[in-house]
Amino acid sequence: MRKIITGFLFFCLSGNAVVAQTSYQDLVQDEQNGEDWLSYSGGYKSHRFSPLRQINKDNVDQLKVIWAYQMQPTNISGAGLQETTPVVADGIMYLTESPSSVSALDAQTGKLLWHWAPDIANSVLNIGFPRINRGVAILDDTVYVATLDARLFALDAGTGAVRWETTVADNSVGFSLTLAPLALDGKIIVGVSGAEAGVRAFVDAYDALSGERVWRTYTVPAPGEPGSETWQGDAWQTGGGSTWLTGSFDPELNTLYWTTGNPAPDWNGDLRPGDNLFTCSVLALDPDTGEMKWHFQYTPHDTHDWDANQIPVLVDGEFEGQQRKLLALANRNAFYYLIDRETGEYLLGEAYSYQTWAEGIDDNGRPIVIPNTEPTREGNIVWPSLQGATNWFSPSYNPNTQQFFVANRRMGAKYYKSDVEYEPGTPFLGGGEQALDGDDASGAVISLEVMTGKFQWEFPLQSPPWSGVMATGGGLVFGSSNEGNFFALDSDTGSALWNFNSGAHVRTNPMGFAIDGKQRVAIIGGTTLFVFGVE
Amino acid sequence: MPHLIKLILCASGFSLSLATSLLYAQTTGSPFTELNESDFAEGREVFQVQCARCHGMFGEGGEGPSLTRAKLSYASNDQQLMSVIRNGISGTGMPGTWQISEPHLLRVAAYVSSLGVLEEESLPGDPTAGELVYQTKGNCASCHILAGKGKGVGPELTGVGQRRNADYLRQSVINPDVDQPKVYSRRTGTLNAFLTVRVVSEYGTYEGLRINEDEFSVQMRDVAGRVYSFDKSKLSSYEKAFGHSLMPGYGAALNGKEVDDVVSYLMTLKGEV
Repeated sequence: MRKIITGFLFFCLSGNAVVAQTSYQDLVQDEQNGEDWLSYSGGYKSHRFSPLRQINKDNVDQLKVIWAYQMQPTNISGAGLQETTPVVADGIMYLTESPSSVSALDAQTGKLLWHWAPDIANSVLNIGFPRINRGVAILDDTVYVATLDARLFALDAGTGAVRWETTVADNSVGFSLTLAPLALDGKIIVGVSGAEAGVRAFVDAYDALSGERVWRTYTVPAPGEPGSETWQGDAWQTGGGSTWLTGSFDPELNTLYWTTGNPAPDWNGDLRPGDNLFTCSVLALDPDTGEMKWHFQYTPHDTHDWDANQIPVLVDGEFEGQQRKLLALANRNAFYYLIDRETGEYLLGEAYSYQTWAEGIDDNGRPIVIPNTEPTREGNIVWPSLQGATNWFSPSYNPNTQQFFVANRRMGAKYYKSDVEYEPGTPFLGGGEQALDGDDASGAVISLEVMTGKFQWEFPLQSPPWSGVMATGGGLVFGSSNEGNFFALDSDTGSALWNFNSGAHVRTNPMGFAIDGKQRVAIIGGTTLFVFGVE
Repeated sequence: MPHLIKLILCASGFSLSLATSLLYAQTTGSPFTELNESDFAEGREVFQVQCARCHGMFGEGGEGPSLTRAKLSYASNDQQLMSVIRNGISGTGMPGTWQISEPHLLRVAAYVSSLGVLEEESLPGDPTAGELVYQTKGNCASCHILAGKGKGVGPELTGVGQRRNADYLRQSVINPDVDQPKVYSRRTGTLNAFLTVRVVSEYGTYEGLRINEDEFSVQMRDVAGRVYSFDKSKLSSYEKAFGHSLMPGYGAALNGKEVDDVVSYLMTLKGEV
């Protein structure tokens, strides 16, 4: 990356705004570079780990707010929740604001450099999820944002001016985009939401310069395609398998890892007999062609809405005496999995949270399902709830200590099944759930040994969280809560070392960067972004 | 998919005529006038999944207010009704319903609007006599604020007749431990609104109602109305007493007629101060 002095002096001398220049090589090296945070998960391996150690166990009690940024008002109703992770490149922070706006801030002061808002109608469909956005991708001097009404925009990183836009899919039938795109070498990868409206989902790649679509890979096969034997009749046409969370990438293996969501309809599996490939799976894709190299399905024939849209974390290390390239994922279904990411071979599946639906995972990676745990017309209590033992919010991996940290939801639900007919652009659910009351639920940040899934410690939370975690080289784990707390834990013990009341519900992931040699940690509480440091 | 309190679309034989929809649109230019009977049936199905837990299967009320009234407190016209369903009512147990699509929201609102023609509940006793019991033998004002008077420890009762039906009020008077009021928060889901908590700290033992709580601290109000804030890391013990109300049951203190009268009095409290 071209390093730029980002201080006040630079602005005075140059008279120009600083423009980020983020090459593909910068993205490849993002994991090692603690100063910038160039992609949603802080690097292609999705460790969400800041190697910086200026803020550590000895001084974290002095952490304080350096600056705050209050998001711009919007006229789009229901667009108050924020789930974005900012990226920082060359001293500029880029973040999205719900439903699909982008702001660029001076990372030194938090001052707004530009704000861009797409023309989204209030009538936009978002069936099955709130009106949110999780962030941007950056490549060279362009920022990419996917929108709630299923478009993809390329914006000039210096001014926010639109370079190109393309329609990814038809929002009127329920397609929507909420994820942060992933920038590869000359390509922008996106996935879609919409399984609750009965879409047939896909992963797309677009040319970064022109916006032309390079390839599309459907997550539900058409008749005759591999996997189509796991569907019957026309169910595949409304089969779901959404791709609504940013994936991971291994440049050495030249493989893209993308997760998929529930089959549709959600709770009435009678309407779609079979395993319903490739829903609730992780897909290994060739980034040049979109061709599927292998797949692993976590929850065959899911009837509890346990999307596998969690972050696939790429881990290298010794597993049972052998050096391997692995993919670790804490699934919404309450099991922690290790997969060989070269071959797709299942290696390990251990429950990390209380669950009542499976006796365990068999040697092939298939859950041993406990009878009578499917949704019924009268209602059937099962743990975890449809929101899962975790969800979209990010885990974190500390490669120095081989610890895997998860924000864990502990909640059960009564699941119902009902009749449903497909109608384009309307909910296609076939049932529902009634979550147990909030006082009967709880949460935790937990630490697992990455190679075994063994429990190490927990930090209890008052309620099931909606926010992720970030470990740092300073021996800390940052996390947050529904109650508004942003806190730092000792990564060795899980004990709290620092706590800040943000004053509002936190449902974002922490991230970290450095500017002018000073480490910073950021979180959004409500609609306010807080940036912390030790002065 | 991510964070959905999803709809259960039950089978239903319910139907209302188009004429009904026209009749019960509250205002001219109502958004409901174009709806047909299958739209109403769909609205009822969604209502029974999304709303019946608090408002009753037929809008008769329960933990939430009865909706079988011509005019709703927070929704005097059809547009306001849709806004309330969409956005909730701040400071009450009524959540917003972003998970209901706009077409469904329209149908649910139309169904709720049609409920205004149902008969209101009859009073089981004498509200005038009940007011006297409230003020004397019940000593209710020692813990409840009503029309600005009383002590604010338990729930405010101004307008409680809008929010609760007769069965719920009777149970609350006789045995308040059984079903305590809940409050919905977008942050945390449905929580006990008046949860009794017990704290032992270096300064003594305290019992009161939880006001707020997070991982690090808890705030509570005792029966004298005093507010405390405790650092959880410094407590000897902290207990959430689920199923225990600070309010005593009045099943023994009041006779059957007095209970009927108090319930009747509470039912007449429609919010006018």
